[in-house]
Amino acid sequence: MSEARPVPDRTVRIIQWAMAGVAVLFIGGIITWISHLIRTAWRLKDVPSASIGISLVAIPVFLILLSVILYVFWGLLGDGDGREQSPPRPAARAGGDPHGEAG
Amino acid sequence: MAERTDNLDAPLLAPIERTGPGFYWSVGALSVLVLWGAVAYWSQFSEGLGVTGLHQPVSWGFYVTNFVFFIGISHAGTLISAILRLSKAEWRRPITRMAEVITVMVLFIGAGQILVDLGRPDRMLNVIRYGRYQSPLLWDATSISAYLTASIVYLYLPMIPDIAILRDRLAKRKLLYTVLALGWTGSERQQRVLNRAIAIMAVLVIPIAVSVHTVVSFVFSMTLQPMWHSTIFGPYFVVGAIFSGIAALIVAMIAFRRAYRLQGYLKPIHFRYLGQLLLVMSLLWFYFTFAEYLTGYYGSEPEEMKVFWAKFSGPFWPLFWGMALTNFVIPVLTLARLGRHTVGKVLIASLSVLVGMWLERFIIVVPTLSNPRLPFGEGIYGPTWVEWGEMAGSFALFALFYLLFTKLFPVISIWEIREGRDVGLREVEERLLTYLPETGEPPVATTERGH
Repeated sequence: MSEARPVPDRTVRIIQWAMAGVAVLFIGGIITWISHLIRTAWRLKDVPSASIGISLVAIPVFLILLSVILYVFWGLLGDGDGREQSPPRPAARAGGDPHGEAG
Repeated sequence: MAERTDNLDAPLLAPIERTGPGFYWSVGALSVLVLWGAVAYWSQFSEGLGVTGLHQPVSWGFYVTNFVFFIGISHAGTLISAILRLSKAEWRRPITRMAEVITVMVLFIGAGQILVDLGRPDRMLNVIRYGRYQSPLLWDATSISAYLTASIVYLYLPMIPDIAILRDRLAKRKLLYTVLALGWTGSERQQRVLNRAIAIMAVLVIPIAVSVHTVVSFVFSMTLQPMWHSTIFGPYFVVGAIFSGIAALIVAMIAFRRAYRLQGYLKPIHFRYLGQLLLVMSLLWFYFTFAEYLTGYYGSEPEEMKVFWAKFSGPFWPLFWGMALTNFVIPVLTLARLGRHTVGKVLIASLSVLVGMWLERFIIVVPTLSNPRLPFGEGIYGPTWVEWGEMAGSFALFALFYLLFTKLFPVISIWEIREGRDVGLREVEERLLTYLPETGEPPVATTERGH
């Protein structure tokens, strides 16, 4: 089992940050789309209040989601260098405590 | 110690390490159904929506019914999992992952129904370019996008420690697991980051999930169509969604419990608790249905009554009374006493609810369109083989996605089970002591909470 070919760290890091980039593009794309619809409604005087009202709720939600994703990528990958120095300890008290009391 | 827990949880890794003939048979059977769905869709794509039973005035049929049904099922996961996490329900541990996977899978399938219903999927681009936020359809698109994004994140975050276990233990798919584990070592800092992120997501997904099905109901209730224009449609849809979501979760749990021999993790007590939840939701569903129909009947508005009687004693009566039987009578009778044969009874009730909730969605969508307020002729909807094929393909695609997921990742959260064994028992005892009036605040719990 332990004879698997090691994966180059650099390749892994590039793919991981590319995933974060995809998240930024995806959520950024949705926010751009919502902004485009507001602009169109505004330009055509087509009840822009509806668009603005909904986007006031929707855009912050997407921004919070993006913040959480980037926070996790930054927080976990920033600590990734410890992997070579300390043995893996993936199990016991990881996540799941909604009040963040663990650790 | 780590070796011991590794061996203890070997059954959770077994489906990923070894693949039996049952898996290939299941994939084969599901692929045949998916193929039927693909052929049906190709026929519709090349010939147009004329090959379906959709027409004027009934322009919404199986596809929109399936859309509402699948989006409803999606409440199984994220919402139930988040509520159980936040309420620190310890019995959630073997359940949350399965629930979260359901959400992500069915959201894809549910959103896909709208593309199928469009007839010409390229017209989706018009929504992107020229969409108008006055339309509840676009509210739907926005809220489902938010829910799908949140659900994927909420599924992925608690999977990271388990993916790290797979990375360290398995020789295959090394690149996939190494990339997705995000360098997880279980360090204190990483645990803090992950805990915080999961906590934020657990709080965030609840209002998003509730808003999604409320907005789905707005697609109907914002019109002036008879028996759609109702102020309680939002909560009515949310209740129905949670109801069908729990039923779907139970069916998935029982299927994987048997297929992967997870009896040691998914015990009768889990099914008893979920069964009790299902019973409560059945009563709540009945209450909302009763309130909805009684209000319409008491008002006796002529256009409303045409739809009302079409459901009660007209062409839709078998479906309406079938819905009442499967959503209320059967679940209440089977779940009222869960002393013996708990798993079997809960399975019967859940399958019944899944049928009933699909009928409920159909009963909401079609009879109103068959009896429109505007002076169109009345119409009866009969699905063709194209719609049946697409429906079979959609359900099979969901099951296939789920099955493939279980070959890549543990279907039960390994670290949550370990956490339950290592620290959960002690925490529950300490927490319990703080609930009881006659005992003082235990010093250990005070210290741990740090205030």
